[in-house]
Amino acid sequence: MAQISISDSHNAAGGGRERGALASVAAWIAIAALCAAAAPARAAVQADAAPTGLKVTDELGRTIVVPQPVRRIVSLAPNLTETVYALDAGDLLVGDTNVDDFPAAAKTLPHVGAVLAPSLEQIVALHPDLVLATNDLNRRATVDALAGLGLAVYVTDPLSIDDVLASTARIARLIGAGDRGDAAVADMRARLNALAERLADVPPRRVLFVVWTEPLISIGKRTFLNDALNRAGAQSVVEIDDGWPQISFEYALKLQPEYLVFAGSLAEANAPAADELSKLPGWRDLNAVRDGKIVIVSDAIDRPGPRMVDAIEELAHLLHPDAFAPGAPAGGSRLVTPDNREEARTACAR
Amino acid sequence: MRPLTMRRVVWTCTLLAGVLFAVSVMALKLGAVPISVSDLVVSLGRLAIGRTDQLPLDYRLIVFDLRLPRIVLGALVGAALSVAGAGFQALLRNPLADPYVLGVSSGSALGAVLALQFLPQIALATPLGAFVGAILTITGVYFLGRREGHLDSTTLLLAGIISASFLSAIIMFLMTTLTSRDVRGMAFWLMGDLSTPLVPSLRWFFLVALLVGIGAIYTTSPDLNLLVTGEREAMHLGVDVTRVKLVVYVAASGLTALAVSASGAIGYVGLLVPHAMRFLFGSDYRLLIPASALGGAIAVVLADTLARTIIAPTELPVGAMTAIAGAPLFIFLLRRSMR
Repeated sequence: MAQISISDSHNAAGGGRERGALASVAAWIAIAALCAAAAPARAAVQADAAPTGLKVTDELGRTIVVPQPVRRIVSLAPNLTETVYALDAGDLLVGDTNVDDFPAAAKTLPHVGAVLAPSLEQIVALHPDLVLATNDLNRRATVDALAGLGLAVYVTDPLSIDDVLASTARIARLIGAGDRGDAAVADMRARLNALAERLADVPPRRVLFVVWTEPLISIGKRTFLNDALNRAGAQSVVEIDDGWPQISFEYALKLQPEYLVFAGSLAEANAPAADELSKLPGWRDLNAVRDGKIVIVSDAIDRPGPRMVDAIEELAHLLHPDAFAPGAPAGGSRLVTPDNREEARTACAR
Repeated sequence: MRPLTMRRVVWTCTLLAGVLFAVSVMALKLGAVPISVSDLVVSLGRLAIGRTDQLPLDYRLIVFDLRLPRIVLGALVGAALSVAGAGFQALLRNPLADPYVLGVSSGSALGAVLALQFLPQIALATPLGAFVGAILTITGVYFLGRREGHLDSTTLLLAGIISASFLSAIIMFLMTTLTSRDVRGMAFWLMGDLSTPLVPSLRWFFLVALLVGIGAIYTTSPDLNLLVTGEREAMHLGVDVTRVKLVVYVAASGLTALAVSASGAIGYVGLLVPHAMRFLFGSDYRLLIPASALGGAIAVVLADTLARTIIAPTELPVGAMTAIAGAPLFIFLLRRSMR
């Protein structure tokens, strides 16, 4: 049966086959023509965007021209949103991402989507003079697509605290807030210097910064977070250079860190109460878990922005209580002991 | 089975082209930024008479620079994947075959990961690496899949599946060594993502290569009708089986390589659309190939429109959309066709 119908249709073929192919080809050519017709539009836009502005090189080495003065900013990362607010330029922000939660005003700005997958057309519709992005959170594809549409996209790439300070000063100059930027940077630097002086004679605590518990993921040496730990008088026990290494428990056991450090938002996801960890195989063999030396630091430490110095100071106070006068700043950071773990957890969740 | 007439081919293709047009216009209208139908008609009218310079800047950017290229890319990728899937299903005589069954997507993913790792400064690292990886995989699987100098369906299938899992293992290894931002970017790309527009200079190459690939498979469609009944039978009926298999293998793999390089591995389209078209229009390849091309285009444009709008302004990767919609649809078709 099948044989017959197939050879039937085989004979009927001829014209039908070619006609079908023609129709299909014609359809594609029509679509291609539509596509080609749209191409001149782009050239025109780029010509519009060319007028005088500030020509700068961003932290990825891309050359961009930022229209001056900057009146409308879209921020694609929470730390950059915070930075703009800290520069008293919050009124210039016209859009941010879904996760931008600090300060409170950031939550009510028009959102352009998630950090990894924002809506390009939503960004375009906000008419930004400047789009701020980070190399760490945003995708390069997003940056390139926006630049292709003629928008000025400044990408930050801080790998250390000094980078963050420099980045803050540069963004401040771009948006016409150079003086405020210099003042903010000078203030942060003064606080960091005071902290460094205070901790000069104290040996650093050997800590394991826990990004994720299953699998155990910590931080590499060449990260912003590692620098933040160092300035808080801590030293990461993980001797791996880049990024976010996944490490084996054996390795952690061999290193025996003095303290485990969790960041607030991560701690909330992980619920690393000392009591619970002490029941888990592997974890319970860590001296830090046995001794209840678990620190939850405000998640601002994970944000290369204005609040990072607060978090660094808080961490320093928790790790080196003897080096400071009593009544230290607690902020969102605390030491978890079996007695206060519920309280600590709700504090993180807040 | 009703015999295939030229009228049926033309009518079916016209119908599908009409649906594709309607879906594309809908996709032009829908998005995170609302655009009214009347505005869209006005701008399309201006586009038709070549007066795009009179459009407001917003519309030019949003409708013609963002949405239209994305729709065209989605349609092309969908057509390529579906035709490749139909081709592989005939070549391997296996209803579960899809464009990725022979390891093309794993090969291109590996190429993309390697390019990201070693040549991150090159702007086109991901698509170029993906394309080179896909071509190398296709060549390797071709030599592994031969028996006595000819492509053997079973050997080819096994060679492809083994290559795919081997390459995936290498990707797993390399992914742990990538920095977090690259891993996140890669994960997005591996799911299939149309948010990155195709570089203008590559658009024409892409279009021509796709048309050539689809056309090449189309020319073999009468032979594919015979091939699915069995190689020996086809040979007795005068089909040059060796040549047909080679053409389908090269063209379908090439189409997959292009699609994956442009948009990552969008799943389910290449498996599902040929089956849906078979279910709707019968299994004659002379109709199935053009119908799959148009059907695949419709499916991906539709899926991407949903991906762009469902939790706007955040965008989902289109591959997540096709997988979510594809699996239940596949089960549905399977149950229906078993009755």
